[in-house]
Amino acid sequence: MNKIVKSNWPALAFLIVLLLAALLLAVGTGAVKISAPEIIGILAKGDDSVNASIIIDIRLPRVLLAAVAGAGLAAVGGVMQAIFKNPLVDSYTLGMSSGAAIGAVISIITGLNVSILGIETTGVFAFLGAVLTLFFVYGLAYTRSRISINSLLLAGVAVSYFLASVISFLMMLNHEKIDHIVFWTMGSFSMATWNEFGISSIIILPSLAVLFFYTRELNMLVMGEDAARHLGVNTAALKNILLITSALIVGGVVSTGGTIAFLGLVAPHIIRLVIGSDNKRVIPYSALLGSILLVLSDTVGRILIQPAEIPVGVMTSIMGGPFFIFLLRRQKGK
Amino acid sequence: MDDQIRVEKLSFSYDVKKVLEQINMEINKGSFFCIIGPNGSGKSTLLKVISAALKPQKGVVYVEGIDISHIKNRSVAKLISFVPQNTSLEFDFKVSDIVLMGRYPYINKFIGEKQEDLELAEKAMQYTNTLFLKDRSFMELSGGERQRVILAQALTQNTEILILDEPVSHLDLQHQMEILNLIKKMCVDKKLTAITVLHDLNLASAYSDYIVMMRNGEIKKRGTPFETLTASGIKEIFDTDVYVSVSPVGNKPYVYALARPDVEKKGIRVHIICGGGSGSEIIGRLYSEGFDLSSGVLAIGDLDWKVSKENNVQIAEEIPFAGISDEAYAKNKELAEGADVIVLTGLYFGKSNKRNLELLLEKSLEQKPLFILDNESFAERDYTGGSALQLYDSIKGRDNSMLIESKRLSEEILKVVGAHE
Repeated sequence: MNKIVKSNWPALAFLIVLLLAALLLAVGTGAVKISAPEIIGILAKGDDSVNASIIIDIRLPRVLLAAVAGAGLAAVGGVMQAIFKNPLVDSYTLGMSSGAAIGAVISIITGLNVSILGIETTGVFAFLGAVLTLFFVYGLAYTRSRISINSLLLAGVAVSYFLASVISFLMMLNHEKIDHIVFWTMGSFSMATWNEFGISSIIILPSLAVLFFYTRELNMLVMGEDAARHLGVNTAALKNILLITSALIVGGVVSTGGTIAFLGLVAPHIIRLVIGSDNKRVIPYSALLGSILLVLSDTVGRILIQPAEIPVGVMTSIMGGPFFIFLLRRQKGK
Repeated sequence: MDDQIRVEKLSFSYDVKKVLEQINMEINKGSFFCIIGPNGSGKSTLLKVISAALKPQKGVVYVEGIDISHIKNRSVAKLISFVPQNTSLEFDFKVSDIVLMGRYPYINKFIGEKQEDLELAEKAMQYTNTLFLKDRSFMELSGGERQRVILAQALTQNTEILILDEPVSHLDLQHQMEILNLIKKMCVDKKLTAITVLHDLNLASAYSDYIVMMRNGEIKKRGTPFETLTASGIKEIFDTDVYVSVSPVGNKPYVYALARPDVEKKGIRVHIICGGGSGSEIIGRLYSEGFDLSSGVLAIGDLDWKVSKENNVQIAEEIPFAGISDEAYAKNKELAEGADVIVLTGLYFGKSNKRNLELLLEKSLEQKPLFILDNESFAERDYTGGSALQLYDSIKGRDNSMLIESKRLSEEILKVVGAHE
């Protein structure tokens, strides 16, 4: 066992280096190009220059927010895949992302857009939407005093479709707010501030720690719920903890960046292809890779068609979709 | 008390559908305990309740005196391990990782697996002959190998009770035997109690110490294989006619499915003079073709006697080695007189059963058609010093006796009876 852990150090080190490089690249890239040494200098010493202001006030909060959100979404994706024993599942499947989006949309069209303690109510609505949808889907699937994973999945997909059409309907009725709504449903970090980064970090980072804590049990769930219970896992409590923690993370991401597709699916998949399925490693490594991918996607979206910006949710879908199909085909070929 | 598991007045229902009703049973330590019954009879539910996966509405399951519905999952996992019908994973895990999961109830989350845990897992893999698969992916294994790995996991769990839900149902014969041999070995070597559902009655017969037969959520019959796997017992549980004989290997009941699509009773009575197994095959065949049968005089415990018992054959019986008493002789005569035809099989004759030949020369039976099988070998089967042979020759010479091959027996019986009518 020790040998296995050791042999994975290179992968871990590689991911950490890659993340740091991605962060530096993202902070340095934009309308004004700033070199890596200059960035490090500014961060180390502090500076009053314009470049320092660009980095500290504009780029850094955005890049860090993307990093935290990416880690959260990828870890949630990996956890969902293990719970549902289905490698093609993520936070969308339970309707959580749609729920968050509809929360945001409702707050936009009702004009309930005020700021409490520095948090936009749209964000709060998004978070409530994610959690309420989770409980609703959970309630639908709750029969005979047990939760069956199949009915949970079916309920999630059904509710997801339903909410998506409700969003379309609301957009139809509210032409004048369509831009704002689209911004939410597509996902973007262009409004990121230190405040938003702080709030999402407070929600997401402790939640990630909770997910990491249960990776051993997550491995056992892969054997099947009954088998895991017979091995001594309290599966009902475990699922509750993991799903509610996941909803917290998704709510945290959606409330600051809107809905971002595909990341939760692709990141754990790539990790599994490289290091195998042991969730003790898959979940933290996926979080790291999710950070890297989202930071890069956001950066590419920022510079590709300057001065306009491609929303990060669109970027992840454009890059993630084909890549995912490639992975699937490769796996089939094996 | 010797009972490791005690189930008291257990009832379970899903919503309003009653699945288990008033189940009472005791299971001894180290026994191979088997539950059989048709689909939907509640077997799997019973296993789930015993393993604390389901909570019964009424009744209690005591394991080593502890009411298991009142202890934590982790503590249950130290008492009972569970082997499902099959295990398939969606994700790639190494065999050694799967086996090591058996240590979960003992592991401190903050420390992880210790050297001791790794050693236990390795020992379990050695025991189940899966050590060479250690670094292979579980998904790539065959069904039999997977089941062995799951047994290794159960061993690593270090419980005294192993519950198995149809552990061999999807395996071929070789792997069925391999897995059941392994489970039996664990019962004997490690004093493990195995509680299992099996669908194959003959495997259940061969391996079980004790069998419980369930139907509609109730235990209808219980006991050793000989006490439970009778034609009437199986008829009651599965609503199916079978023929039960004794397996020549291991001396356990052996159940034959009767391939007879809706055979009507022919209304023809055949009396069979047999013994020592010479009549077993014929009894089975004629019974499955719809003949009514009687046999005699048979010593109690004789193989033909057992087969007759299993198949509802009327028997003239006698205490073993005592010779044929007047009483038994009279009963045999009465049965023969009531029959449409008589069959004499290739049995051995000695002092004690010579009177079975004398019967065939009785005046009242002169007109009965008599079929004689295995004519050639009679001299070899005569242990009376020639007197039986004398009787035999006069029987052969009497009216209405026919020497025929065993395989043409039923055909000839139908011919003769048809001619009489």
